[in-house]
Amino acid sequence: MSLPFIVSLVIIAALLLWPDSGLVARWRQARVRAARVRREDALKHVLKCEVNGELPTLNSVAGALHIRDGAAADLIADMEAHGLISIGEGRIRLRQPGRELALHIVRAHRLWESYLAEQTGVAEAKWHQLAERKEHQLSPEDADALAARLGNPLHDPHGDTIPAAGADLPADTGRPFSTAPLDTPVLIAHIEDEPEAVYRQIQALGLRPGMKACIFAKEDGCIRFWADGREHNLTPILANNLAYVPLVGTTREDLFDEEFLSELHPGERARMLGLSAACRGAERRRLLDLGFVPGTMIEVELVSPSGDPIAYRVRGTVIALRREQARLIRIGNRETIPTEAVAS
Amino acid sequence: MSEVPNTAIAPPTEACAKCEVYRAANLKKLGVNPGQWDHIVALAGNPNTGKSTVFNALTGLRQHTGNWPGKTVTRAEGGFAYADRRYKIVDLPGTYSLLSTSLDEEVARDFILFGQPDVTVVVVDASRLERNLNLALQVLEITDRAVLCLNLMDEARRHGLTVDDRQLARDLGIPVVPTSARSGEGLPALLQAIADVATGRVVCRPHRLEQEPPAVRAALNELVAQIRRMHPDLPNARWVAMRLLGGDENLAAALQRGELGGQRAQAAVAS
Amino acid sequence: MASIQTGVAAVSATDIIENARRLRRETAADVHEVLVEAIYADAARIADRAVARPGRPARPTLDRTLDRILTSRVWGFPIMLLLFALMFWLTIIGSNVPSGMIADQLVGRLWPVLRELATSLGLPWWLKGLLVDGVYLSTAWVISVMLPPMAIFFPLFTLLEDFGYLPRVAFNLDRAFKQVGAHGKQSMSLMMGFGCNAAGVVATRIIDSPRERLLAILTNNFSLCNGRWPTQILIATIFIGSLVPAQWAGLVSAGAVTAVALLGIGFTLAVSWALSRTVLRGEVSAFSLELPPYRPPRFWQTLYTSLIDRTIFVLWRAIVFAVPAGAVIWLSANLNVGGVSLAQYLMHYADPVGVLLGLNGVILLAYIIAIPANEIVIPTVLMLTVLVTGSQGIGEGAGVMFELDSLDATRSLLEAGGWTLLTAVNLMLFSLLHNPCSTTIYTIYKETGSAKWTAVATLLPLALGFAVTFAVATVWRWAS
Repeated sequence: MSLPFIVSLVIIAALLLWPDSGLVARWRQARVRAARVRREDALKHVLKCEVNGELPTLNSVAGALHIRDGAAADLIADMEAHGLISIGEGRIRLRQPGRELALHIVRAHRLWESYLAEQTGVAEAKWHQLAERKEHQLSPEDADALAARLGNPLHDPHGDTIPAAGADLPADTGRPFSTAPLDTPVLIAHIEDEPEAVYRQIQALGLRPGMKACIFAKEDGCIRFWADGREHNLTPILANNLAYVPLVGTTREDLFDEEFLSELHPGERARMLGLSAACRGAERRRLLDLGFVPGTMIEVELVSPSGDPIAYRVRGTVIALRREQARLIRIGNRETIPTEAVAS
Repeated sequence: MSEVPNTAIAPPTEACAKCEVYRAANLKKLGVNPGQWDHIVALAGNPNTGKSTVFNALTGLRQHTGNWPGKTVTRAEGGFAYADRRYKIVDLPGTYSLLSTSLDEEVARDFILFGQPDVTVVVVDASRLERNLNLALQVLEITDRAVLCLNLMDEARRHGLTVDDRQLARDLGIPVVPTSARSGEGLPALLQAIADVATGRVVCRPHRLEQEPPAVRAALNELVAQIRRMHPDLPNARWVAMRLLGGDENLAAALQRGELGGQRAQAAVAS
Repeated sequence: MASIQTGVAAVSATDIIENARRLRRETAADVHEVLVEAIYADAARIADRAVARPGRPARPTLDRTLDRILTSRVWGFPIMLLLFALMFWLTIIGSNVPSGMIADQLVGRLWPVLRELATSLGLPWWLKGLLVDGVYLSTAWVISVMLPPMAIFFPLFTLLEDFGYLPRVAFNLDRAFKQVGAHGKQSMSLMMGFGCNAAGVVATRIIDSPRERLLAILTNNFSLCNGRWPTQILIATIFIGSLVPAQWAGLVSAGAVTAVALLGIGFTLAVSWALSRTVLRGEVSAFSLELPPYRPPRFWQTLYTSLIDRTIFVLWRAIVFAVPAGAVIWLSANLNVGGVSLAQYLMHYADPVGVLLGLNGVILLAYIIAIPANEIVIPTVLMLTVLVTGSQGIGEGAGVMFELDSLDATRSLLEAGGWTLLTAVNLMLFSLLHNPCSTTIYTIYKETGSAKWTAVATLLPLALGFAVTFAVATVWRWAS
């Protein structure tokens, strides 16, 4: 055998068998990781079922994780062996270690989504998918640090409660939006982020949890409703990815008469009424700090050469906002500024 | 201990030319290296209020910041000596508020809260007082040793505005000094006001929010009562309560470590 | 509960924090929101009592009128272009004379003195060459070429900045930047980049969103920096200005430089667009920008601070990098491998690639040697050309950087080196599109903290440069 041959053989062997970073070791680690991810996903599924009063079954586990029934059975047996769940009278129940782990995963997932929403420019449709991966990599300490950095948010961008460290998970609130009563304003409480294609469509419409909405027509295959000063259309199937809770104190007229800053013309002024629920996190805080608080008089000061952004005079300062942001600021008492005042 | 005659909260008039000369002669600009200092002064304010000009005028440094917001996220330090006392002065990032989670606001907030400044000078633009007072009132919720520097008076005059600094001083409960830092107008009076508050000759009775927001009143009162039981002397119990209710984990950690109480102890020794 | 207990130490910090967490979840309202509203209400009341406004609280008419003009649909962009063109023109015109004067002093007078000194000290020829002809001469060149334009450009820029014009630029340009997925404030770092890319990269700190800040950093190199103007101006004057009658030459060559600068802005937008649709995909973040009131800048103060803060600071970093570069140039021209100098050896290998790109080996090697500072590209090109063509009686000898007195002499030297109009055009393009100087690369590393993004910022413009010059050369040859 020639020397080059031996050398190559040694190099190949090293690449394969090197402890911790060789291909074999990596493959093993990946397998362990994959098994852990499956276990944690299964626990999360069981927790969500429990909270929402559903029965987790072998089939539902298999469905949620997209694995075959046989693999799901192995998985459940494995979790029971590790003391994470108990199986009695044909029911899967979480045991304390399993519950804690599941809660942590949910917490990490929702925190990461909040992080992506607030501090990165990652596209909204990607949040869930990225968080699905990240939730398995964050330790409870990481999650706490992340929460502190985000100012301990209470809700994730989809409107779901982020459980506090060690606290229980509240049940999902709200009913399918398609079943909401006609001509009655309701509050959008939750937007389901799966499947991604559906979520992308809903998100493109600018719908966000916390928005007030009012269905004014249910036609064949189309639900027409009013939210944030605009008309929206959704098919019932899409609409079922939204959940609503009843709203008191708002009439249909209130909602339809809402106006937004983006509609204000040069030479006009108006009183600010509030910020839309679609404006959240850091952006919301920033606008408040800049003086966009209810009761403030706002007037259009300058329009940029291309028509967007527009600069507004707010409490003695000129602040430029893009149209998307101005669309989130609710106004009322719109009026024309007397001409002699403009001239002076 | 003090050679300088005691002055009332309201700043002295600019007409006292002799006085000005006397005071200005007392100022020694120490540049970046104050060495040992007797008092720490924090400089807070909105962007574009001439904060850096005040800082440069006091320290003799030439920090340049452009006429656009958010250019600095770090703090600059310098020093000056006035009436036999040495001061370290810290120029905080210009911010609109102290409540958000952005980096510059965190730097400013943490310094006022934990940096234990003996005086916090809030620089405001006299021609845009309403907006600027937002930050000033937040500072007054945190600390009870502050001076309001009513800067850009020249510009306010150009806009045809008159600002009643005495009324403002009464409402805010802290010394208010009208200045135009660019031309040096009012700086001697500002120095005097800083010295007065730092040495305890003038005791501030800072304005605190008049109406607790009804939506959070009950929760706030419960927390404030608890905090007061633990730290009876804490000057900013309500601020702490509000931050805790707002989910500020830094503050929670500081409370856990007992740093909030320590701040008060330090301040008590100084005054 | 704590209230039932008696005694002083009834509450611990943990109790309070736990209670706060519970109350926070029970309270429906957003504390931050409620608090800001309450504070603004108080602020309005207090301000109302203290401020007397005779008549209506309008901004001074002048400010308002100025804003209307500077951001007007018709005049906004032309004024912006004119202002910056004027700024560049003043810099180019104004720095000519002082540049020559400094070069006279540092190269014409001090250099011979230093050579004498080295000889009288009895230094060996190689040490003398390395120190005096290599290190000293390159430093002197960087100072004489960089200092005057920076000393003019930076104060001008600072005056505009202090006046409050830059936020209006950001306001005007925001739409374009938004459409390519970038932040409106990127226009400000772009402007800074026209002075110095390293300063432009630092200026991206004003952008909050990490994604958009990265975009601004990665594209800053497309702003033609001070160090590259000498190349642009010289080549445009020699090869493009000479295409037209003499009375038009100045205008046309200035137009060519402006065109390259505008092309740079075009690349900034195009690359931002491409990046934000591929690797840096994401949403455009919120943009709120205060348009501060105009303030008459204080002239002398501005002059002083911008000299100290910017000019000297940037110059110092350039010198730090120019010193080793001078040594490398001298060494590469004087180290012989088998009877051929290292420089010639490398050029021989670089030449085929260079010709493919419509450039030549000399230019490529000059760009490798001039990584530390773009300023030394032209002198390096001339020196290496002398080496290649073996021109006698021009220049100062192997490895000595120099500047030729007359443009005609430079032209004939370059033509002897095989230069054509294509070479000139492609050199101008390549000067716009190549890796940033090492100072900028270092700054990018410090600002991003990532070797990966530093590599992207370095190699992306270079790859674009190769692609564009190759395309131009191919089309040119095919057409002619």
